[in-house]
Amino acid sequence: MPLVSRRPSGRTRRVARRWGRWIALVLVVIWSLFPLYWGLSTSLMSSGAADSLPVHYYPHPLYLSNYGQLLNLQHANLGTLPYQLRQSLLNSTIESVGTTVLTVFVAIFAAYAFARLEFRFKRIILVTTIATLLLPAYATLLPLYKLMTSWNLVNTYLGIILTNTSGFLPLAIWILYNYFQGLPKELEEAAFIDGARPLEALARVILPLSLPGIAAAAAVTFLFSWSQFLFPLILTTDLRSEPATVVIAALYGPRLVAFSLMAAAGMLAIAVPAALALLLNRYIVSGLTAGATK
Amino acid sequence: MGLALVVPGLVLLVAACGSSGSGSNSSSNNSAPAVNLKHPGGSITVAVAYPSPPPALLQQFTKQTGVKVRWVNVGWDDLQSKIVAASTAHSYFADVTDVDWSKTGEYYKLHWFYPLNRYFAISTLSGQMPQLSSFVDNGQLVGIPMDASFMVSTMNTKQFTHAGVTKAPTTIAQYTADLQKLKSSGVNPHPLNIPLQAQEGLSTYWYETTAAFGGHVLTAQHKAAFTSPSSPGYKALAWIVHAYKSGLVPPGNINMADVASLTSNMAHGMTASSLSEYSGDLATIYDIPSNSSVVGQVKYVSTPTASGAPAPNLGNPDGVGIPRTAHNVAGAVAFIKWLDKPSNQALWAGANGGKDAITGFPLPAQKNATAILASSLHGKSGIGDLSQLLRDSQPVFQNGAPPWYSQFSNAVYTNVHAAAAGQESVKAAISAIAQVVNQNAP
Amino acid sequence: MRSQRQRLAYILLAPLALFIGALTLYPTAVTTVEAFFREYSLVNNHNFVGLKNFHDAFSTPAIRQSFVNTGIYVLSGTVLSVVLGIAFALLLRQRSRWRAPLLALVVLPWALPPVVEALLWSRIYDPTFGPLNGVLKSIGLISHNQVWLGSNRWEALVLIELVQVWQTTPLCVLLILAALQLIPSELYEAGAVDGASAWHGFRYITLPLLRPGITIAMVAAITASLNIFDQPYILTGDASASASVGVQTYLVSFQNLNFGEGYALSLIMTLATAAISLLVLRLVYRRVEF
Repeated sequence: MPLVSRRPSGRTRRVARRWGRWIALVLVVIWSLFPLYWGLSTSLMSSGAADSLPVHYYPHPLYLSNYGQLLNLQHANLGTLPYQLRQSLLNSTIESVGTTVLTVFVAIFAAYAFARLEFRFKRIILVTTIATLLLPAYATLLPLYKLMTSWNLVNTYLGIILTNTSGFLPLAIWILYNYFQGLPKELEEAAFIDGARPLEALARVILPLSLPGIAAAAAVTFLFSWSQFLFPLILTTDLRSEPATVVIAALYGPRLVAFSLMAAAGMLAIAVPAALALLLNRYIVSGLTAGATK
Repeated sequence: MGLALVVPGLVLLVAACGSSGSGSNSSSNNSAPAVNLKHPGGSITVAVAYPSPPPALLQQFTKQTGVKVRWVNVGWDDLQSKIVAASTAHSYFADVTDVDWSKTGEYYKLHWFYPLNRYFAISTLSGQMPQLSSFVDNGQLVGIPMDASFMVSTMNTKQFTHAGVTKAPTTIAQYTADLQKLKSSGVNPHPLNIPLQAQEGLSTYWYETTAAFGGHVLTAQHKAAFTSPSSPGYKALAWIVHAYKSGLVPPGNINMADVASLTSNMAHGMTASSLSEYSGDLATIYDIPSNSSVVGQVKYVSTPTASGAPAPNLGNPDGVGIPRTAHNVAGAVAFIKWLDKPSNQALWAGANGGKDAITGFPLPAQKNATAILASSLHGKSGIGDLSQLLRDSQPVFQNGAPPWYSQFSNAVYTNVHAAAAGQESVKAAISAIAQVVNQNAP
Repeated sequence: MRSQRQRLAYILLAPLALFIGALTLYPTAVTTVEAFFREYSLVNNHNFVGLKNFHDAFSTPAIRQSFVNTGIYVLSGTVLSVVLGIAFALLLRQRSRWRAPLLALVVLPWALPPVVEALLWSRIYDPTFGPLNGVLKSIGLISHNQVWLGSNRWEALVLIELVQVWQTTPLCVLLILAALQLIPSELYEAGAVDGASAWHGFRYITLPLLRPGITIAMVAAITASLNIFDQPYILTGDASASASVGVQTYLVSFQNLNFGEGYALSLIMTLATAAISLLVLRLVYRRVEF
């Protein structure tokens, strides 16, 4: 439905407005994609082509060797770079999957308790949990580093997964809490009449209906984990746990590697979240706007 | 949506029943373990700011000692953060890692590294390693030099000759005038290389420029020696800032790190001279055809000085040490001995036609190795000039680096950067750096 | 039955309590307390020093500057991402078969790691090979290449924040779009009968009813920009002209090893986040009933 205007106005004006809208939408898409396009385009050029003037707006001819070298498909004098990238992508995957599984698991039980059970201090506990969403990273950064030190969890997957989970749990709970609340209570009550216990009702009735909500919580948690930088920067010290973000920042800092190669490394590091964001877009949108309309 | 109300209350509430902080622990155990160096075995992780030599050479070491090596190359500035994070967390991250000359005082005080006196005798090494003293604090050997890096000046002689400059300048005034000549004659619009990004390489550029103006940045008692406008440190900073503002330096250098400015600009003739860069760049960057389009054109020159009389070049050696969290001390010691063997050192520095060279590796730490290198290079890549310059080089700080060096250097490079970018005056930059010195050495 | 369910609730919440208690609330409390203690790895003692950490922090010019920088990040970031958020949401409001794929593309920048995004943008700003100079030169807005980062401080601050705006705007779009879809179309029809123009409809119908959505979008943009770290860290490193409080906290703690001062900076930023979010809620939020 167009914004307002049912006023009798000329046909030309309606056409102009529609064209204006389309042009604006194209600009929005350019704004959203241009930096990604530029990175992709540079990653498909040889360093000689990328670092020459005038600026090339698209790769011609296509040069795949940056990826070939980084993925070790062809010989290159890159030292340990392919290994560093491969290992850090593996670390990112393990840490993000671990965080997602743990977060969603804990969040399902907590959200169910908030949505369906009555208990004392319910409101205070819920509000406190959600309020921690507003705590900045600063509040916990240095003490978490010391805690992980005293538990010998610095530079381990577990240390990163626990830290991530504590940060992303509130949002996952909020998403699932809103989702559970939207489900009709009658279905569970029917189960109760059949003699089911609350946890059985959760497993048999609520969870099967909640897959979209669970997908939303999982997708958002995974993307947050994959993007983490500051916490892993201090909580990891080498490739046994460093995620791709930390390794890429360390490579880029001293600018020792040609940018076209750097861009290819960047593209490899965003491939997983980009694919996820495009495939699970519906769930991500519903997850990020959970409860926002209340 | 009244949630935000809760946060401040929450913070205060929790604070009330909060923790009493635990005191920091200090490791009083000062001695390094006894090790069997015959056949140490196992594996080690080596984390340094250099790329690895060819794998075949590392495999030779594994064959000799049974020690497997995982060589991890981390950028210098990031590596320092890693060492801090791992050491304060008492967490293992490497068996051998970088000990920069500038960190000796800090590490000695913090007990983060094993003293190496048990495995290496200072008295035998000092004759062979001219820069060993930069790694000794109160008789304790915190690290072993890995190279004999020092700051040098370079000139692209082809471009200078092309602009009509035939004699290497000896004074800074002449040097500046010659650079202007390159600019005005159109040979090179921005001939001077200064890496002005806020990082360690900018600090060292200022130290070397200060030496060229005839002094040190800190006194022997680690007090500020650069606050008076007539002091060498002050003049050096003003010279750097003016060089940038007057267009002698490429504008994009304001956000460019040291090695990048050399490999991407100098190596392609986009700049023609550095007042301060690293010894060894000819053999490992400029004279290697695959990295460079100025092969044979860049030469080491005596650093021009304020007075015209030759001044010492400043030492900038990287060393290696064994962190207290290391797992395989025996393997680490064996590795350091192998890394510092004269024949290997010569390879890292570009003997053997540069095919076993470590990119950016300067002169070998050992004098014997320098001799091997010189005969292999047949006097090319400025090796003769370098050996001469090395004999006259001096440490940056007369009494070693202060333990608060990291904070000092951060103040140096952020303020030199800001002054060059026109965000503060030279005077303001000087007093901001001085403030950090005064806080720490009252 | 009732007490049994209550017990079940507490069992189900136990893992949550452990996580939030041990890894969020306890660390926050530690930050609050330690801000008043001296903790310096070079000096092995730990004693109460009152406000000294705060005083030391504010007597360092670079740290004072980082507060100004962060203020500019927050101001420019919030304004830009909320304005863009409203504009994009209005454009994407119409249901059509193009909307879902369009939304997927618009959300993409939010979903990717800011570190890699900053790296990609660094190339856009590159003085020699960057397309920003290339495009501006070819349309005649500039005559020779500009150095975008590191010369003019204000320019650098806004360009660095723009990278973050690019990342946070999608979230604002979604939040505002969600609120937009709740506005019943009858309200516009009533407005149309009254002869309201498009601008009037936006100003007097849409905007007031969007207030809850805009509030949440603003809080999201403010917390993001108060926390900004990745973008300045990658684009200009340690340079104090554009370092955020986050970057200085990292440097003070892990380079200077002055953890006490790091805690003090952390506490200030925690309280600032709470205070500013609260202020936004008070000033912008209005409950709307349809």
